[in-house]
Amino acid sequence: MVAVDISGRHAVGGRYIMVSASVAARISPGGIERTRRMRLVPLVAESVDMEVVIELIEDSVRGLPGVVLAEKGDLYNLERWRVESILGREFKYPESLGERRAIELAHHASFAGRKLVLRLMEEGLGEGAWKMTA
Amino acid sequence: MKNEKTAVLLFREDPRDGPHPEKMAELRGLAESAGYKVLAEISQRRGRDRRFQLGRGKVAEAVSLEPEKLIFNNPLSPGQMFNITKEFEILAIDRFSLILEIFASRATTREAKLQVELAHLSYEAPFVRTIESLKKLSERPGYMGSGSYDVSMYRDIKGRMAKIRAELKAVEETGERRRERRRELGFDLVSLAGYTNAGKSTLFNRLTEETVTAKDQPFTTLSPTTRAVAAKERRFLLTDTVGFIDDLPLFLIKAFRSTLAEIVEADLVLLVVDLSDPPEVLREKLASCHQTLWDCGCYAPIVSVLNKVDRVDPEVALERCELIQDLAPNPAFISAREGHGLGGLVDLIAEKLPPLEEFAVRLPSSEAGMGQLSRLTRSQSRSR
Repeated sequence: MVAVDISGRHAVGGRYIMVSASVAARISPGGIERTRRMRLVPLVAESVDMEVVIELIEDSVRGLPGVVLAEKGDLYNLERWRVESILGREFKYPESLGERRAIELAHHASFAGRKLVLRLMEEGLGEGAWKMTA
Repeated sequence: MKNEKTAVLLFREDPRDGPHPEKMAELRGLAESAGYKVLAEISQRRGRDRRFQLGRGKVAEAVSLEPEKLIFNNPLSPGQMFNITKEFEILAIDRFSLILEIFASRATTREAKLQVELAHLSYEAPFVRTIESLKKLSERPGYMGSGSYDVSMYRDIKGRMAKIRAELKAVEETGERRRERRRELGFDLVSLAGYTNAGKSTLFNRLTEETVTAKDQPFTTLSPTTRAVAAKERRFLLTDTVGFIDDLPLFLIKAFRSTLAEIVEADLVLLVVDLSDPPEVLREKLASCHQTLWDCGCYAPIVSVLNKVDRVDPEVALERCELIQDLAPNPAFISAREGHGLGGLVDLIAEKLPPLEEFAVRLPSSEAGMGQLSRLTRSQSRSR
């Protein structure tokens, strides 16, 4: 499974500085058995509508095998089948403890990643390296 | 003399969701468990009505049956409760309120009573604040009045809640010390968890040869009961706890923290599931249990126990097991009522318990060393 979480879905100075973290892991109902890969994707956007969120998730999970897993709130409580058809991949909302733990792990990673991005931005490093979208 | 409580059940179904007849059936079960005679079940598929939750016509239809109360499956906001009472002159409660009513009638121990009172107050505090302010919209309170201000009532509730929390904190600490002591004596702690009416108390009675109250009704158990069970070469303490229910509000989980600590702090959790439920309901209940365990902060390993296998055909049981494979892999199939599969379950518990740690102790051949040896032997014999 690939658990995804996005940090930074609130405006800072009129723009959204987001980081999406994807954790590819083997999950049992009770917990995470093994973490295989983790990927962080930063994105600076003018809005945080469905299109932007989906694009960010698509980028973030590309190449990672398994069912995509995300919190309902991250996808505006859309029905599962609608998310699947937009994303073009098998998708589900968390049900078991293990799935929730995987999302929690992704949340910690995205939160830490965003803090790093903000610090680099403050120091004027990596300007232009962040993907911008309208 | 008529002293039977009557109620009409109302359920607003979300137009985006499919029909959920099981939710109405669950609400009926809860209402009957609380001692209500259900006069009718009314459901409506529509968006949420800001004033009455359901449409005015549906509420009027329910009121025309002259029940004592209207019971809504959907949560009522303080404003909606106020509007229904004012417009139709009838008491309206929601599912959480009904659950609290059941809890209040079943609470026997001091701890359970405090927990129920705290849950009641947490639930009612925002209602009191809203309803009082709505009633006093046109009034200007003055210092010469004999009554108290609405804020003081709200503050009284908050004060009482703080007192109960402090008392429950002491109960929690006692529980913590008790668990620590039990671990020192060499017992592993195993807790029964699961959806309400899944058969936890029946299984508890079977495994411990006890006679705690076990009935075919939701929320028979409120306070935890613990008894010792022997499994192969291990001995563990099995605790029966309160059942879960779908959409359990966080305030209820917080109020019952000292009871739920028995699950959170256990070495192993037996998640009991009623296999005789229809497949979709079974999955939904299991997911709801996982959600509650997550909300409690449970990190203990889980063994899924599929109960009531005597009520379904073996093929159907296997089909259902397949359906919940991702939520309950390698479960134990049992019938607590008939006593089927209990030996296998006890073996599985012994297998899943954390491995025993071995220690080598060197003692000096002196008076002090012999004293230590004596103490070790005493504590060992006490734990047997």
